[in-house]
Amino acid sequence: MASSMNWEAARDRLRKLREEQHRCSDEVVSLWEDVLCANSYRLGDELWMVHEQVCIAALDCGNKDVAMMNLHALQEQFPNSMRVRRLRGLFFESQENYDKALKIYDAILDIDETNTLIRKRKIAILKAKDDIRGAIKELNVYVERFMSDYEAWMELCDLYLQEQDYTKAAFCLEELIMSNPHSHLYHEKYAEIKYTQGGIENMCTARRYFAQSLKLNPNNMRALYGLFLSASNVASSKSKDAKTKKDNIKYAAWAAEQITKQYKEVARKKEVDTSSQLTSILHMMDEIQITQTS
Amino acid sequence: MGFSTDKLCVFIGLLSLVHAAYSAAQHRAYLRLTKQEFTSLPADVLLQCVLSIVLACYGIVRVVGEFRAIKASLELEKRTWDTLGNRPSFYTFSHRGRFLFHSG
Repeated sequence: MASSMNWEAARDRLRKLREEQHRCSDEVVSLWEDVLCANSYRLGDELWMVHEQVCIAALDCGNKDVAMMNLHALQEQFPNSMRVRRLRGLFFESQENYDKALKIYDAILDIDETNTLIRKRKIAILKAKDDIRGAIKELNVYVERFMSDYEAWMELCDLYLQEQDYTKAAFCLEELIMSNPHSHLYHEKYAEIKYTQGGIENMCTARRYFAQSLKLNPNNMRALYGLFLSASNVASSKSKDAKTKKDNIKYAAWAAEQITKQYKEVARKKEVDTSSQLTSILHMMDEIQITQTS
Repeated sequence: MGFSTDKLCVFIGLLSLVHAAYSAAQHRAYLRLTKQEFTSLPADVLLQCVLSIVLACYGIVRVVGEFRAIKASLELEKRTWDTLGNRPSFYTFSHRGRFLFHSG
């Protein structure tokens, strides 16, 4: 597929994947192997970035040969670079030779104690060894020192979720929301955690955060479903007064209407038939509505 | 074609501005030669100056490109959790990748 691509298109695609932080490692490797490897002399200074990107992607795919090739090219160009030494560490990690990787990382940390990338690698090794508790402990020490590293907060949140420690995961997301209050995804995820925690108060919080997420991005389908489900849940609970229930029925109806509207919109744009999906959605919503009234 | 008329606006505006500046300089030179006191520029030079600035501004605003909405979440609206939640510095490699993609 990729072999018919010209090298400029391949370069642009790699650039886009790099900037938007996609993890399509197999695509990166095949773009390199099929197109860019033969045209690498045309890339100029961008070549080194591409080498790094392809090397990591190849490790991700378990493609040792391609990774080695790119790593050697980088090592020859930058023999003293910390970033290349980190790549060597990554290579050992992919071979599950964690002791050797740790040796490299410790040597770098001896020279440069503030190298956050290396510190994060050491945490990732704990994660790879399935020592989630250890990783959480280390990551807590890390975020205490580097409080503005939001990637780390996100990782910590996911690790807590893996341990099903929802209260702490929610705290991490609160940090993230404060870092970027305009991100609808953070609000959505926070609402999802609150929803998972359950209980009527958490459900109300979840509904509010789903609503905020929708305010920031009205096309967020997941938040629409979340709003619908959380509002239905609140409406069907016994501990709420009549007015709250009535309001929540209204919210759920609004979300349901928006969801059907979105489906129709997609059907119109892509000219596909979504009527069967629509019927099943309406069916599902009716069922939830029935359980509310009963 | 809107694009080229906009560029023309910029060009004419800047040219006219230079011309106004030149007229002003000429006026100062004339005053110096006739030994008169400088009070203010003649109205036609001032008017040309203002009009050409307006014209050039209009042209530049049209040429440089589309305006973007002042909305903090606009950039984020297109992002999904797949890319936002992807954290390259925490990649681990002990996963199914090597069996999925590598046939060696």
